[in-house]
Amino acid sequence: MNALSRPLSAGIHTDDGATFSPKTSTTLWALWAAFWLLMIGVAIEDQLRNPLTRWWEPFLTEGSSALVSTGWMWLAVRVRGRHARYLDRPLIWFASYLRWLPLIFITWITAVYAIRHGVYAAAGRTYEHPGWGFVVVYESLKITYNTGLWLGVLFGIDSYGQWQLQWRRLLQTQKALAEAQLAQLQGQLRPHFLFNALNTVSALMHTDVARADRLVAALGDLLRISLRSNEHEMTPLAEELRTLELYAGIMQERFRNRVTLDWQIDRTVIDTPVPALLLQPLLENVFKHGVERTVAPVRIQIGARRESGSLEIVVSNSGSTLAPKYRDGVGFRNCRERLAIIYGSTASLFVHNEDGGVAARVSIPLAGTLP
Amino acid sequence: MIRAVIADDEAPAREKLERWVAEQPGMAVVGSAEDGLSVAQCIERLRPDVAFLDVQMPTLSGLQVAAQLEPSSAPLIVFVTAFDEHAVNAFDLNAIDYLLKPYDRDRFARTVQRVRERLQAHQSGARAVAVGRSWAPSCERLLVPEGERLQLIEASSIEWLEADDNYVHVHTATRSYLLRRTLQDLLSQLGEQGFMRIHKSTAVNLGSIGSLTPLFKGDYEIHLRNGRTLRLSRRYREALFARMGQ
Repeated sequence: MNALSRPLSAGIHTDDGATFSPKTSTTLWALWAAFWLLMIGVAIEDQLRNPLTRWWEPFLTEGSSALVSTGWMWLAVRVRGRHARYLDRPLIWFASYLRWLPLIFITWITAVYAIRHGVYAAAGRTYEHPGWGFVVVYESLKITYNTGLWLGVLFGIDSYGQWQLQWRRLLQTQKALAEAQLAQLQGQLRPHFLFNALNTVSALMHTDVARADRLVAALGDLLRISLRSNEHEMTPLAEELRTLELYAGIMQERFRNRVTLDWQIDRTVIDTPVPALLLQPLLENVFKHGVERTVAPVRIQIGARRESGSLEIVVSNSGSTLAPKYRDGVGFRNCRERLAIIYGSTASLFVHNEDGGVAARVSIPLAGTLP
Repeated sequence: MIRAVIADDEAPAREKLERWVAEQPGMAVVGSAEDGLSVAQCIERLRPDVAFLDVQMPTLSGLQVAAQLEPSSAPLIVFVTAFDEHAVNAFDLNAIDYLLKPYDRDRFARTVQRVRERLQAHQSGARAVAVGRSWAPSCERLLVPEGERLQLIEASSIEWLEADDNYVHVHTATRSYLLRRTLQDLLSQLGEQGFMRIHKSTAVNLGSIGSLTPLFKGDYEIHLRNGRTLRLSRRYREALFARMGQ
């Protein structure tokens, strides 16, 4: 599914089985215990009206049912993480549990009746019940009914948990995006960038009007991108690269002859959705640390390619290395935080010395962001 | 003829300034550079009347270049900056000339007019040097001549300074450099970097002192870690002891 068409859920990451809080489990087991206490209570009341039965008989019948049912319930709770992905498709979710019903009928009836017969025999009595044909039909109906009821409860609890989780992640995602937008805007409106760009225009328009014109247009486009209220968390890689192109173009005019750009973009990945405004901080860093601090020519490489299920994006520069006590700046921290929110541990951002220069590498899973 | 040097690391900005200065009657661009170290070399070699220094440059910023100059012989300085609120405040306070990017011909002409007036009044760049030094109070690096060129050495690598008329010998562990500066001025530039005068004509890096031996009349001998012995005159004794006692 194209993540662009689902801007709200595209940013939600779900780990199998690890998405539910202990609170939902506690709630579920508390309800379960209350249910069986109620069943035993009803059976005791029945027993009081029937003087022929012994005091322990209701405990045995309901207890054996509770014991075996709890086993199945425990299994259902154990595997629910595997089914969490179907919570937004209830039919599939229920079907994936209910297909086990025949097995449950057989094992449940066998186990429960074995226990009852065993205990009665141990007490020197005989467990009397209607014929096996009736028992199988009757108990199967009861199991179906109860299973339906409890799957409903489980579904309700997990849906609520999932909804809460998604809501929280959505808020996180939006917060991180807002921060990225703010950082981007601050980057564009950073006085050094803006005034130096304007000064370049003011210098160029005396010698090359067409060039000055192009520069003003590029500056306008870049500011427009920064100011655009971006409601989409994800954007195609091509859009991100276009922003980089505008920024790099302006910087290249400023630092004429000192910067060469080398784009190595695999055309098959340019439609891949990536977090919006993720890459510019990486290029800003290259100029800030790699270009502005030296008069030597700097070669900047921007690459994007597919690599074993991942989209690999590299922004690197020649001629400078990381300081020995290098620490991530705000830009990098923000990028990492957003990758973690959107992709969990499956995405990464590394910056390190490489071939006599510095390279920032982003790795994003190509499978998309939906679980 | 007013001789100007220009420094900006961004080519379009530099070329604009070169063109506009050259267009001014009675002005000529004698040198231009794209980083702080090269423009310091230009100033040293060409002795211009005025220097237009971009504040943000590789190797040395415009302010750091100014800080390395000898006040009485420094050219007039016009700082050029895109944006630096604090620096601009300092320029305003000290009546230093500056240009804010982007600037137009009118503003440039006003600045040039002021430069002409200052030159007629025989002003030097002393004020800009002072602002540069107060801006970078701890000058961690010192610009020294190395053959035909200038190079930066770490202030901490200097062991002692020795005045010689209007020159100063700067001694490091490995070699000496000769600077056309007064000892007083060099010490004021090195500021808080841990140098103290110990004699009319010598100053020492506190970090390179190994031991002291008292002589008669309150004088001392200072033994540097490198084995050299210097004389501490009693005139500077108290100040040195106070600093070392800290």
